[in-house]
Amino acid sequence: MNIKIQRSLAVVSAAALVFGVASASTAQAAKHKAKVVYIAYQGPLSGGEASTGIDEQNAVKYAVKLFNARSENKKKFNVKVVSVDDQGDPAVASTVAPGIGANKNVLGVVGPAYSGATIASLPYYKAGGLVLISPSATRVSLTDPTSPDFGGPVFHRVVGKDDLQGPALAKYATQGVSSAKVFVFDDQSAYAVPLRGYVEAGLKKVAGASVVGGDSVPNTTTDFSPTIAKIKTSGATVVIYTGYYSQAAVFIKQLRDSGSTAIFAGGDGVFNQEFPKLAGAAAEGSRITGVGGLAGISKKLEADFKKQMGVSSGVYSVESFDAANILLEGIKKGNTTRAKMLKFVKSYKGKSVSGNKIVFDKNGDISYGLFAGFTSKGGVLVNTGIVK
Amino acid sequence: MFDVLIHQFWSLTIAGVALGFIYVLISLGYTMVYGVLRMINFANSEIFMWGTFGTVITNRDLFNYTQTSEPAKGWKLALVLITALLMSMFVAALTAVFVELVAYRRLRMKGTNRLATLISAIGISIALQEVMRLLTSSRPVGSPRILEKIILTEIWGANVRLDTVITIIAAAIIYFILERFIKLSRMGKAIRAVSQNEDAAKLMGVNLNRVITTTFLVGGLATGAAAFFYITVFEYTKFNIGFTMGMAAFTAAVLGGIGNIRGAFFGGLSLGLLEVYASAVLGTQWKAVTVFVVLVLVLLFKPNGLFGEAVQQTRA
Repeated sequence: MNIKIQRSLAVVSAAALVFGVASASTAQAAKHKAKVVYIAYQGPLSGGEASTGIDEQNAVKYAVKLFNARSENKKKFNVKVVSVDDQGDPAVASTVAPGIGANKNVLGVVGPAYSGATIASLPYYKAGGLVLISPSATRVSLTDPTSPDFGGPVFHRVVGKDDLQGPALAKYATQGVSSAKVFVFDDQSAYAVPLRGYVEAGLKKVAGASVVGGDSVPNTTTDFSPTIAKIKTSGATVVIYTGYYSQAAVFIKQLRDSGSTAIFAGGDGVFNQEFPKLAGAAAEGSRITGVGGLAGISKKLEADFKKQMGVSSGVYSVESFDAANILLEGIKKGNTTRAKMLKFVKSYKGKSVSGNKIVFDKNGDISYGLFAGFTSKGGVLVNTGIVK
Repeated sequence: MFDVLIHQFWSLTIAGVALGFIYVLISLGYTMVYGVLRMINFANSEIFMWGTFGTVITNRDLFNYTQTSEPAKGWKLALVLITALLMSMFVAALTAVFVELVAYRRLRMKGTNRLATLISAIGISIALQEVMRLLTSSRPVGSPRILEKIILTEIWGANVRLDTVITIIAAAIIYFILERFIKLSRMGKAIRAVSQNEDAAKLMGVNLNRVITTTFLVGGLATGAAAFFYITVFEYTKFNIGFTMGMAAFTAAVLGGIGNIRGAFFGGLSLGLLEVYASAVLGTQWKAVTVFVVLVLVLLFKPNGLFGEAVQQTRA
């Protein structure tokens, strides 16, 4: 492709020389050469969280590949993806964000993937007026104008916040359980504590369910016997944990070993295929809310993704694909400066590949959250569809 | 508030004692080194962490158990458990001797001050942790289940499980063997001699380097045994578990009186029970607070810990 462009350029300039119209040659070259436009993806591409970032970036690259291949775009634009690796770590994010913030060639960012890294990057992107569309930063404070973490005007997200996940998790955990007695506990992290609050609020709306107890266990704990003693005393039939998968695996083993058969449920922190691997048979039947991936939306799209990218779509692929498409739509409409792109995204009206309407409110949020329910079966988490 | 404690008192107590014995063995690693060198071995937490991988590798790679395979039975069970125990002890002891060689010996020979050694110990502990982080790609590692967690009997409504019973009995045996070794063996005497007066011991012909290496070795063996029991009970490890466990065991050592082997025993057990009871009564978020309030109170009245060394024995 590049060689072709170079060749045609060479032909054009040679022709220009022959006719002696040097000034016309540049105009003519511009007409034929597709404009190179950059968007960035920011997330963990190395380190312990890398699998999330690589999955998301693949979905972004897939969207760009489709865009560049379309005949109406082919001659006009050549979109390239700049990879920004923040390892999901705020400390790393604050060292990579200044460069992207200052590089005016980058028109928009899909990301950052994680809330903590987003907060650390925000000052540089706000200063650079660079629009962000995160596929997976779910912390509520990012779109709360009264919070110091507020990301406006540049921050947007196409993922449901934790206050939408909480009720979804509450619903999914108690599905089919009449008058559920629920025990909810968190791992004291900035992610888990608020989510626990939203789960408890969501449980109030589930008919017959009641919260019978709770605990707050440091995320370094390996001995859960006091928590299990509390669960047993409370007579809970459903246990919801709002922390992460590694701790959840340790906990669920101990819960089952203690003889308890209560239903175990967790949020997207537990949503990781490592969870059933670590917990073994104890994980069977666990209910986890997470994001479904393209396969849960359209088999045809998933098959094409696999053909084009060589791998299956992974976590947050729907969200990353949507986010990239918004930026690409902006490019197509000729918004090739940061200011224009920001304005375009703010007033964007479109459709997610999941069929939902995407319109950002004034704080950068969308109105829906797509949380799929997964249940652990035979050592893998199986998608049971969007929680409604 | 207290109904959990009342309803589940015996389950909590059994869990607390099992956890306590794991603390006892790790705190031996701290207390032995402190007794001899008057220095905190900050790398002991990572020696523990490396020890846990000894058991995981034995179970997973040497005997090819997987997360879905059936637990071992009969002779095979005994063979796997004992191999894993020895492997963990071996790995931890080797790491401990390595730590001594790299972080302590040379600096000691050069006669640098204690702070330099302290920093080099912290340095090697970070290095050990990072190496394991890279080796495991920051991921938690589960151990396959070798010992089926059979409920043996019920005492006052509490389940008595095989793994807890084995942990308590075996850890107690290992503790007593080590205690006897220090008390009765020739090497044990040399260790105690160095602990009381380094210069006098040297003048009496005690080989200082050998004593110090042995101290690290014995501390490493105890810590490695703790790592084995930890994996047998919790079946899980990660590059950063050393910090929490090491911190707790260090606290136990101080609580009991650091430098004192009996102190490590009582400190470890009381800490295990205290953690479990505090979590049950006040909520797990208050566990660390309670532990340190108790520690401060104990140190207020007994500055050398519950079984602390007598004042005339302390140096500088």
